[in-house]
Amino acid sequence: MDPASLVTDTHVHHSVYTDPALFRLEMERIFGRAWIYLAHDSEIAEPGHYVTRHIGTTGVIVTRDRDGSAKAIVNRCTHRGATLCAFERGEAPHGHQCPYHGWLFAADGALKMVPNRQNYAGVLDLAENGARPVRLESYRGFLFGTLDDAAGPLVDFLGPMASSIDDLVDRSPTGRLSCAPYVLRHHYRGNWKMTFENLNDTIHPGFAHAASVVSAKHVAEEVGSRDGLSPTVGMMLANGKPIQFFQDLDMMVAPPGHSYIGGHMGANYSPDTADRYTADLIAFHGPEKARQVLGTDRHLTLLYPSSTWHARYQTVRIVRPVRHDLTEVIGYVFRLEGAPEETFRNAIEYVNGANSAASPVISDDLELYERLRTGNGYDGAGWIPYTRGLNEDREAGNGWTRTPATSEAFIRNQFRAWAHYMEAA
Amino acid sequence: MLHPFEALVIREARLLDARDYPAWVALYTPDCHYWVPVSPAMTSPLEGPSHCNDDRQLMLARTHRLANPRAFAAEPPPRTVHVVSGVEVVSESADTAEVLSAQIMLEWRQRDGFEADQRLFGGQVRHSLRRVDGDWRIAVKRIDLINAEGSMNAILAPI
Repeated sequence: MDPASLVTDTHVHHSVYTDPALFRLEMERIFGRAWIYLAHDSEIAEPGHYVTRHIGTTGVIVTRDRDGSAKAIVNRCTHRGATLCAFERGEAPHGHQCPYHGWLFAADGALKMVPNRQNYAGVLDLAENGARPVRLESYRGFLFGTLDDAAGPLVDFLGPMASSIDDLVDRSPTGRLSCAPYVLRHHYRGNWKMTFENLNDTIHPGFAHAASVVSAKHVAEEVGSRDGLSPTVGMMLANGKPIQFFQDLDMMVAPPGHSYIGGHMGANYSPDTADRYTADLIAFHGPEKARQVLGTDRHLTLLYPSSTWHARYQTVRIVRPVRHDLTEVIGYVFRLEGAPEETFRNAIEYVNGANSAASPVISDDLELYERLRTGNGYDGAGWIPYTRGLNEDREAGNGWTRTPATSEAFIRNQFRAWAHYMEAA
Repeated sequence: MLHPFEALVIREARLLDARDYPAWVALYTPDCHYWVPVSPAMTSPLEGPSHCNDDRQLMLARTHRLANPRAFAAEPPPRTVHVVSGVEVVSESADTAEVLSAQIMLEWRQRDGFEADQRLFGGQVRHSLRRVDGDWRIAVKRIDLINAEGSMNAILAPI
């Protein structure tokens, strides 16, 4: 099978969503090579604290080591292969011990102890049986891991999209963020790429979420004013903007597979909060930088193939491929340390609307992903065109292209990256 | 004769199963909350995200949408039956009361015709009741699903 033959400049073959063999190849060549967002520093604040995450279908443990550095290893005992940690987070100050025969691994994977050592005299070298270490790099407190020891530096992978992480961190009036301990998960029976191709698609909301728009308008009429609307109802209403609005909005795409679109959901802070927050940011950054931070308005940034970022609403989502036809999306919300509490409430409202399976908006998307799975599972379903906006690019710079937000340029960009990862030796 | 608080909890379940959503919302106070936390350890919906943290407006928007034929995800609307058990009044004053119950909601949503069409939701439910103009209303309904921390697929019918 030649994966590159499944992708052209204008079309992609349906099997990329439904073929289990292609999924296994994606795990090896895309998720095995890219930088994958794993965790934020605040989630493993103290030595011994750990979280478990995934790189593709491989479980990893990210631990704060005694020297203060973060370490990651594959979540697998090198003896019989059992996973070491079953929980999403915890404390393991003495290392990770396998529950099966008691092998004990340090945060960096070193095999520290094997019970009944005399049985292994001369037949087991501890130094050669450590858990597999995972290469980690941090960008402003966000930890990314890769299974590819030959991968280039993280900053090269992020490219111009690093500015979306800057956007999130710079919104804190202390420079510090903390990840809330509660996370919001949804899943669907469909391929992981469907989420990536949906989130920056600005044409679907007017159709897919039309019923929510009608209901939000109904409630707005009952309330009598749009000012008195609760934020989630406002979010439902936002999907009803005319297509010309999104046509005028910009989308930026950059290799490998990344994109963001311009912001289109305004701040909901009360005047008191807005004033105090602005003053706090000026005190921390100085007036010029603070104005630039507050003036930045991006909607979602997609870091292909595994995370989505919304600085304005302090939300990061991890897209986790489980099987070719099963995907989990995990939403994390961040507190801007030192900022008025309302900024955190606002972010919670956003993540509830944007990542709950019970959200009137997301439940539409989940239904569609499953319909895509069904329709693309037909034998001989054929080729899928992604030509929308093909000739509408606005500007090209060094490593990025600017297009209308209505363009499918971000999907074409994702499949350029897909073909590149899948092809490379 | 049922205790009036138990009757209210059962009446709410019946209205949901009948999809009589305007009457369902009318059981709640104007400043109500319908809350489905992502962990039983949460003490407030302001600590982090929730599966649902609806005020009255969102309850109205959510249920109005279910009746819309363009809500393709709910076509046809899900059919549910609630099983309510172990209703216990844990505190009561002249104008407020706390009522616990164990509830299971069996849901059928027509998809591909196989076993995934039918689902079970269940857990501990806490109704915080308040007397408004002489009538007992629901001020807060907190649903602690037994799989609160779990990963959910689309939830359309209110639990």
